[in-house]
Amino acid sequence: MPLLDIRNLTIELDTPHGRVKALERVSLMINPGELHGLVGESGSGRTLLARAILGVPGHNWTITADRMMWDGQNLMDMSPKQRRNLMGSEIAVIFQDPMGSLDPAITVGSQLIEAMPQDKTISFWKRNSARKAIAQKWLHKVGIKNTEEVMSSYAWELSAGECQKVMIAMAIANQPRLLIADEPTDSMELSTQAQIFRLLSKLNQLHSVSILLISHELETLSGWCDQLTVLYCGQVMESGPTAEVLEQPYHPYTKALLDNMPDFSSGLAHKSVMQTLPGSSPALQHLPIGCRLGPRCPQAQKRCVSKPSLCHQKDRYFACHFPYNSEPCNDDPTT
Amino acid sequence: MGRYLLRRLNLFLATSLALVTVLFITTSYFPVSKPFALSGIATPTTEQLAQIEADYQLNGNQLQQFIAYAQTRLSGDLGLSVTSQRPVLEELTQALPASFELAIVSGIIAVLFGVPLGVLASLSKNKITQHSIMAITLTGYSIPVFWLGLTLSLWFGVELGWLPVSGRINLLYEIEPVSGFMLIDTLLSDSAYRISAFKDAVFHIILPAITLAVLPFTVVVRITRAAMLNIMELPFIKAAEARGLHTGTIVLRHALPNALIPVLKNMGLMLGTFASYAMIVEVIFSRQGVGSWLVAGIYQRDYTVIQGGVLGVALIIIFFSILIEVLHNAYNPLSRKEIYAAN
Repeated sequence: MPLLDIRNLTIELDTPHGRVKALERVSLMINPGELHGLVGESGSGRTLLARAILGVPGHNWTITADRMMWDGQNLMDMSPKQRRNLMGSEIAVIFQDPMGSLDPAITVGSQLIEAMPQDKTISFWKRNSARKAIAQKWLHKVGIKNTEEVMSSYAWELSAGECQKVMIAMAIANQPRLLIADEPTDSMELSTQAQIFRLLSKLNQLHSVSILLISHELETLSGWCDQLTVLYCGQVMESGPTAEVLEQPYHPYTKALLDNMPDFSSGLAHKSVMQTLPGSSPALQHLPIGCRLGPRCPQAQKRCVSKPSLCHQKDRYFACHFPYNSEPCNDDPTT
Repeated sequence: MGRYLLRRLNLFLATSLALVTVLFITTSYFPVSKPFALSGIATPTTEQLAQIEADYQLNGNQLQQFIAYAQTRLSGDLGLSVTSQRPVLEELTQALPASFELAIVSGIIAVLFGVPLGVLASLSKNKITQHSIMAITLTGYSIPVFWLGLTLSLWFGVELGWLPVSGRINLLYEIEPVSGFMLIDTLLSDSAYRISAFKDAVFHIILPAITLAVLPFTVVVRITRAAMLNIMELPFIKAAEARGLHTGTIVLRHALPNALIPVLKNMGLMLGTFASYAMIVEVIFSRQGVGSWLVAGIYQRDYTVIQGGVLGVALIIIFFSILIEVLHNAYNPLSRKEIYAAN
């Protein structure tokens, strides 16, 4: 049974320009112990998806879904209180902006201790020191050496990397089953990035935590993830095992992403034009109908104005009328 | 932090110096003879006159006079009151605790009711609740305090007869002043009626305290609400929610401490207005405090009382606004960051 199974999730935002489907019929399946990559440009709705899974929607959201199952329970039927309990214990999240995600007026240590589960078996006079020891243990695990110093400092006194490590420690202190890492290495230097990815994959291997890794860098994701889902403008383009997707992309967007990766081994000519798809990704209030890649897609034809449904072939999914290397599905209800 | 405190101390000294300068200049414009305006003795004997001239260097140039003036004033010699012929310093120290008592009680009322109401206003999704709280605070903010005081004393004091309208305590009780705070002195006194005296003192302070508390209360509500609305949208609140903390914990432990920082800052800014309102309230309810003492002094052309009262009150306001700023910086880790960066 998959840990998280989302089918046709649609998030509509109420904007001054009317109601906009920021995410349209997104499906996502995460198996236990899996490192799932979610790749997409900024503005493609990755963070929205993460927040919808977590259950912290914004005030102008309308969420509809055919199903949202968490380990056999329907998330849509749960009360906000049950969702909140689930958030703390089973699903944890690491946000994009680690410094902003820590309270500036309280020390990092007390926030970490607050996020940890309470152990009622320890007698209350020992509880404080015990919790402090556990917090230090978690900080050690995420690779912070001077734990005393970090715990007594404020968020703005730490570097972004340290903050991110503290956030990871907070997230894993409850030993969640799913960890959503939303651009965990945004604005960090490469060595720290590698450190954090190593940390995440170690967590995945040693504690069998499922991880949903959200990023815009296909190269980084392809190195760490088992499964890959490609998102464009709030629609799922393609999804499947990383190796297969990279080897033989079905969707024109995935192929374009792979083809446009600059190849530094052969030596690029100075000031040569980097390859991209023509145009730029559309703004939320000017979304094209049908397949949202349509206007930029090299394969696009008349049929693309109706949204292709998600095709299932073995363990791969794609949404395209004219895929590469494969036959399109014929179960399209709109044609 | 040490350098910062030093800079604040410097600010205090500089402002005080400016204050003394202003007082010195205005004193020379009083429509009486200079020795009288400075000392408060109307018909000095020859020796007294010589003493005054020596003390204030009245035969020297302006700079010498100023230095002598600053020296005598800052050494605590504020002269004699023209009307009562008692030292002004003595009268000031007698009147101060009553004003502090009133200010502290109404400050506590304002914060105790203002902060929770501001939080409620920010958290409530109900438009009617939000708008009615905002409308009430706006009304409270714009009501003139003298009208409010008179109306309250008319309703609750005269027509309903629930609360006394003037003084600090019923004249029947004889309370020995120890700390000067009536609420404490009644409890400290060893008379048999101290509990009923305490109750009487509490009844006497209710109306003036509420009248004075209205302005800071409305300001606290509005600022708390604005700050809370701001902070509840910040990423760390969303992150705390995502960590599965209860809403109560989030509000009390993460949002409120951050929201109180601007509240504290605005309290410091409001101090001057608050002090002048306190004087008006003291006059309306005829409580013996610095305000009524100073206003009486102004009416009686009591030049030494005017100088001494203005000096004392202004020094206290300067001191407390700097103290609040220092507290604000000590309490707020974010501004400490700026201090470190500045040094």
